[in-house]
Amino acid sequence: MTQLPQQLINGVWQGAALALFAMGYTLVFGVLNVVNLAHGATFMWGAFIAFVCVTKLNLSLWYSIPVAMIGAGFMGVLLDRLAFKPLRSLTAGSLVMWAGFLVLLTGMLGDWSPGTRRVVILSGSVVLLAGLIQDFRSVRPLRQREVPHLAPMISSIGATFILVSLAMGEFGAQVSRFPMNLFPIKPYQLTSNAVISPIQALVLVLSLTLMIILHLLIKRTQMGRAIRGIAWSERTSRLLGINVDFVIAQTFFISGALAGAAGVLLGLAFNRLEPTMGHEVELAGLTVIIVGGMGSIGGAALAAFLVGMIRVLSVAYIDSSFRDAFVFGLLILVLLIRPSGMFGRSKVSRA
Amino acid sequence: MRNRLCFLLMAVVAFALMAGDSVCLAADSSAKGLSGEIPIAGVWSLTGDAAVYGPSQKNASELAVDEINKSGMLGEAKLKLITEDDRSTKEGAITAFDKLIKKDKVIAILGPTLSNSAKASNPIAQDAKVIVLGVSNTASGIVEIGDFIFRDSLPESVVQPNTVKITRDKLGYNKVAVMYGDDDVFTKGGYDVFKKVLDDSGIKILTIETFKKKDTDFSAQLTKIKGLNPDQIIVSALAEEAAGILTQARQLGIPDSVHIIGGNGFNSPKLAQLAGPAAEGAISGAAWFVGNDTPGNKKFVEEYNKKTGSNPDQFAAQAYAGVYIIANAIKNAGSSNPQAVRDALAKTKDLDTVLGKFSFNEKRDPVHFPVVQTIKNGKFELFK
Repeated sequence: MTQLPQQLINGVWQGAALALFAMGYTLVFGVLNVVNLAHGATFMWGAFIAFVCVTKLNLSLWYSIPVAMIGAGFMGVLLDRLAFKPLRSLTAGSLVMWAGFLVLLTGMLGDWSPGTRRVVILSGSVVLLAGLIQDFRSVRPLRQREVPHLAPMISSIGATFILVSLAMGEFGAQVSRFPMNLFPIKPYQLTSNAVISPIQALVLVLSLTLMIILHLLIKRTQMGRAIRGIAWSERTSRLLGINVDFVIAQTFFISGALAGAAGVLLGLAFNRLEPTMGHEVELAGLTVIIVGGMGSIGGAALAAFLVGMIRVLSVAYIDSSFRDAFVFGLLILVLLIRPSGMFGRSKVSRA
Repeated sequence: MRNRLCFLLMAVVAFALMAGDSVCLAADSSAKGLSGEIPIAGVWSLTGDAAVYGPSQKNASELAVDEINKSGMLGEAKLKLITEDDRSTKEGAITAFDKLIKKDKVIAILGPTLSNSAKASNPIAQDAKVIVLGVSNTASGIVEIGDFIFRDSLPESVVQPNTVKITRDKLGYNKVAVMYGDDDVFTKGGYDVFKKVLDDSGIKILTIETFKKKDTDFSAQLTKIKGLNPDQIIVSALAEEAAGILTQARQLGIPDSVHIIGGNGFNSPKLAQLAGPAAEGAISGAAWFVGNDTPGNKKFVEEYNKKTGSNPDQFAAQAYAGVYIIANAIKNAGSSNPQAVRDALAKTKDLDTVLGKFSFNEKRDPVHFPVVQTIKNGKFELFK
């Protein structure tokens, strides 16, 4: 039993980081009814943006975390506009954006001299930005589409591949790591048999803070009200004069920023950054949001802690080989007893 | 990404050239012994999980081929080295072997990097009667695949007993905790050997914990281990996971007096790079050590440094020695016929290599003396 306090700490801080990831995941699902499988790739890019800030730009970590969050947030918006929105309503702006994006990709992947490369990337970005602005301003789309639910999911898988390949091209397939001296390795002694390292404490504090901020944002602000409105009925919200596409962009920004924060924090805690690091957390995150109830933010947070606890406790008291079996066992159990998840409700009451 | 495109182009050109060459070679070699280009290949994990090992193997094999070609060791003949990336996967290794055997008609393949891949790809070479010299496969069941399969990497079953014996003499421990990756042939094989050695020497195993490839979090297992107060922790893992284990062990406050003792996976300078100060005091059994007093070792370390700007690791040394062992067999056989070279290779005895006096035993496993090393100030030192 002596290991129990320490195992609880292990479970809590990891649960907190997982909760950050899962809340953004479930938020987008709640609003759009789309499983954004590229959420893990956004998570990975958040970690790498902070990595670039710290190693290349010599920013301090305290600036790097917000920069990574904002960067990942914008990545979320771009993701929506490039991969999801054209499936809902196609505008001239979307087409311009895609053209810009393709130029950007050519610039990044092609075998150019550094000068040409910079010009191609820059012009691609400018076109992309122009398309984005045009897309935001457009009132009447070229085509309003009714695509099956599967289409956006497949398109998010495609986005994952693009984002992961870009990271591989930029940072290589090898493991990158933050400089060693960012955090002292020596842990704080909490009780006689429980310690927490500074980075784990940071993960815990920052995650809890962001969770509270998100809660206030959704429950107390005009934007949160609009988000909940769209989650309830997009059509009604539109009739009431809510700029639906703009609110969806905001949702993607929040979701991306949360994924980015989770990426930086877990990247720091394990000091292991690689382009495929999103895959595993993606799976864990999916489990969490299903267990918590698709679309329920509080449910996702609670389920994340639950999954974190089950992971450590199954190792502590049963057998480490069966760790994942217990996590997915929980998933099946919840699906059997309450297919809508612990806090999942019908669409009407979710709002 | 640009490099990859470049590489692809180069590879395509190389294949085109090779196809022409190998046809000439077949005619030449039967007529007047050694001449022309003798195609050999290296299959390394240049990307993917094991990408910490592959690049040093590639660099070292290129270095050795250059030296051999310059020295005129094979008379008029020159070695032609074709390098393939197996992406650290079985499938990648199988594809690479297929291409090298059917298209490039190589007589010998060095690699693949991982034992896991070797088990899948080596039977292809055995069927085609092409020599495989594993230079980093240490799991059991590799050379058993067939009589064309050799390796110059000491198996864990030779290195580990030595590691346990020497460290126990110096540190005097009686109870240990064991951790291993249970989804990889190499780390599982390392665990089996450790378990047997520990049981044989009467050391008590307090707990056995497992993890999976690509796991990042080991705190639950390590917390459990910490609660049991072991004298040492024995770990069978690849470098990336090992680095995570080392770091998290120290984060959880497991004292420095508890050393983390590992197998072959620890023997990469990347371990110290990835784990930083937490890697201090990690101990591992190895086939080679950078300060070894073996023939040609000093020159090898210098040349490798000149080529890559960093010290070679054990995997580089084994790949380097591997090329020399094959070249020596080709020279002794006086032919590039795979069967003749195989027979000459099997007779290799007391050959001077950077690994020391090198021989193959009747099972085509290597025979030379292992060492035990420890990390001090971020560098490998001989464990004393």
